Amino acid sequence: MDPLDSKSHHSVPHFFSKTRAQIRRAVFFGCVLIVNLCASLWLLDIFWLQGIHLGHYSVLLIFIILNGLLTLGSFHAIFGAYDIMRGKKKTVRISELADGKTGPLEKRYTVVMPVYNEDSVKVCARIEAIYRSIEATGCLESFDFFILSDTRDLDLWVQEETSWTNLCRRLGGFGRIYYRRRVKNENRKAGNIGDFVRTWGGEYESMLVLDADSLMDGGDIVKMARIMESYPRLGILQTPPKLIRGVSVFTRLQQFAMRLYGPLFIRGLNFWQLNGGSYWGHNAMIRVKPFSEYCELPALPGKEPFGGTILSHDFVEAALMVTQGWEVWLAWDIEGTYEEAPPTLIDHLKRDRRWCQGNLQHLWLIFAKKLPLTVRMHLFMGIMAYLGSPLWFLFLLQGTFLAWDREHSGLSQLPFENFASRWFHINGAEQSLILSAAVLGLLFLPKIMALALTLFNRDTRKSFGGGFSLIIGATIETFISILLAPCMMAAHSLMVLSIILGRAVGWGNQARETDGTAWVDAMAFHAIPTLIGAVWTYVAFQISPTFVAWMSPILLGLLLNIPVSVLTSRARYGRALQKKKILSTPEELNPPWVLTLADQATAAVDPALDASQESRRGLVAAVVDPYVNGVHVSLLENVDITPAEEQLAERCLVEGPSALTKNELAELLYVAPAMLMMHRAVWLRPAGGMHSIWTHAVESYRRRLNHPATAESA
Amino acid sequence: MGLPNHPLTDIIPLSETELEEWEEAYSAVEAYFQALRLRNRLLVAELVRRILQRAADRHQAQPDIPPRVLAMEETLSEIAQWTQQVLDEPLENRRMAARGRLALLLAGIPGKWQSVFLTPAPWPAEFEAAMRTSYLAAGPRFAQLTMLPKPLEFNAVGSGAAQWLETLDRKPTLKRMFFALLIALIVLSVWYVFLKK
Repeated sequence: MDPLDSKSHHSVPHFFSKTRAQIRRAVFFGCVLIVNLCASLWLLDIFWLQGIHLGHYSVLLIFIILNGLLTLGSFHAIFGAYDIMRGKKKTVRISELADGKTGPLEKRYTVVMPVYNEDSVKVCARIEAIYRSIEATGCLESFDFFILSDTRDLDLWVQEETSWTNLCRRLGGFGRIYYRRRVKNENRKAGNIGDFVRTWGGEYESMLVLDADSLMDGGDIVKMARIMESYPRLGILQTPPKLIRGVSVFTRLQQFAMRLYGPLFIRGLNFWQLNGGSYWGHNAMIRVKPFSEYCELPALPGKEPFGGTILSHDFVEAALMVTQGWEVWLAWDIEGTYEEAPPTLIDHLKRDRRWCQGNLQHLWLIFAKKLPLTVRMHLFMGIMAYLGSPLWFLFLLQGTFLAWDREHSGLSQLPFENFASRWFHINGAEQSLILSAAVLGLLFLPKIMALALTLFNRDTRKSFGGGFSLIIGATIETFISILLAPCMMAAHSLMVLSIILGRAVGWGNQARETDGTAWVDAMAFHAIPTLIGAVWTYVAFQISPTFVAWMSPILLGLLLNIPVSVLTSRARYGRALQKKKILSTPEELNPPWVLTLADQATAAVDPALDASQESRRGLVAAVVDPYVNGVHVSLLENVDITPAEEQLAERCLVEGPSALTKNELAELLYVAPAMLMMHRAVWLRPAGGMHSIWTHAVESYRRRLNHPATAESA
Repeated sequence: MGLPNHPLTDIIPLSETELEEWEEAYSAVEAYFQALRLRNRLLVAELVRRILQRAADRHQAQPDIPPRVLAMEETLSEIAQWTQQVLDEPLENRRMAARGRLALLLAGIPGKWQSVFLTPAPWPAEFEAAMRTSYLAAGPRFAQLTMLPKPLEFNAVGSGAAQWLETLDRKPTLKRMFFALLIALIVLSVWYVFLKK
């Protein structure tokens, strides 16, 4: 097939038949529907027994939605477990298309890593590891690499240039590893990728899209490329990334939970989504031509936060691909795919704020024409991941009101039987308990099943550090996740509220590491949820001690929000757990080769070209250092300097960079003649003729000889 | 290297101001060579001495120009001329000087070729080849694709909502009234469902 002919893929037979896919979806969603219907009818029956109140209907309505979501989640795990127990041979696995295939790839591929104000040394370390890992497969010739920078921090921009140059010098990567920075970061990450596709995309069959914290094994990347070559209907091939390098307790909890419970959900997801999968924004291979044809995102009606630019672009891009007849698959068995997680609860919630707004924008797409069922389901699940919290909050509030109303009404249970008591001979109180237990069962069933499956498999059990570590880890994870759930509920509810009130979100870079959250910051951030918890506890005590007991997991979670946030953010507690192999994952206990490569990667660091020294960091180095200046200027477009820019450069020399605004500095950094003029000036002018920052930077080179103790790292 | 036959008696006594000016010139030139990551002290000292000698010669003709300026002009011009010779291409403007410095870095002057720096031809073939193939490119040749957004097609509910929202965005008073009405309806519903006896 001609790689640029995006229509000819329709003649290729389907990997999985449409009829069988529809049967699977009917079975899956049928089960969810039946269980939810039974539970909801039973609750109505119990309400009827208690003497139905108008408020009960509202509670019932929310219960149907919430229980539906819970059942949906649980059935992912149930079907996932079923799929796992059937064995790899009987399961649907798109990657079987690459089985047994070797030899060179037929087409050209690229690895793209969009970055935004990241640590360039770490970004380059990941690129280095992926590069070496692909090199080891013998297929490096088929790949190019792009670091696509949208970085706005000027110092980090210069450091990205030096790190990339060092990386290329060390790996011999010139002409294979490229660095491009956008002048304007329009449309954020989607715009960054779009800009790449428009400029260079025509050269490549597919692109592997990574995040700045992504890492992937070269063998698996080549395997993905082979799948793309084998199946021309495939538009996007998503992999399920594993969380790695968790240091804080919070991150370790997340990575342990995802590693232990994740496979069940992933397999369950694959059971029904099949060729109508979703794209999660990174660690996925995308066929470039159809992406360019169909995935330029339209603006939504109205302004942000609900309208305007689409923030969560990935789901929509997958939706547009599927709508146009391209298939989107989840390669669940690609093992070497990794990412990192935000280190603290606060960082996690800040990221969630962006995702929340993006997912709520998808409400528009629910009303779009021609979307297949799988796409609508993905969009619905994404929306409900955040709308579920305020609904849960309302449900609990209404439950509290009904308990208060019942307590103060002095009414007893009605003297007649409901359907459940007639059929099963159990009274109303027992029915309430059983229904609650069933809901809790649905909630914890995935954890129990995942733990059981892991414990019964010798190899998997050992990979987690043994049965004891697993059980202790799962217990701690369950306990803390119970405490965290109300915090998330409150935080998500407040996010949804702020979005409804019209507060749009900015584009922040993600914190990758931290020493932990300060108590003051936690108090400021979690003040409202804690206050809600205190008031709620008081009200609950006014109702009855039994009600307090029922509500205790929620109330405790809210009241302990601040200490839980602070204590789980601590890296030292995380390290202590790590030493005891608690909350450990297979990747932590037995790091894959590509992780080791990334840990050992040093190509981006070279004292000969360095813009990170204290006395000449970033922008200052770009002016003073002959090599940094040479690299920076070489990457700029050839433009003439204007008199205004000359004046600006002079001001920068005399008054120092701090006297200029960020925009003025950025303007200077873009004008090659200005950068060359400043470089010459700082070396030629006597000390009195310019700001001390330049003098100190120039003098810093001599310290190496004068003061060996403060020498630059060799 | 150097001129070992120069007797110490040739040293001309300088005033304190002149000494300070030449000390500054010395520091700047030495710092620049160190910024080029020349590690060998003897090499650096010799290069600094040669540059300062030229600057001193110029200073006799141009006494108004501070020694530091003269010394650094000599340094930059020496490096540019030498780089031009090695690259065998003209450095027409200052930008090409940056190209030259980049070539020095990429060819390995800070590493294995420091002994070649500023020496006359012939140079090792490997070094010359490395210098001439040293350049940076932000990307390969352009291979452009078109990406055009296609408007979303909404069903009747979506189209109606889009129109309504755009109307609200255009008319802020109507928007405020609408949200006030919405809040009143919510409050009324809560009262009716939960509080009305």
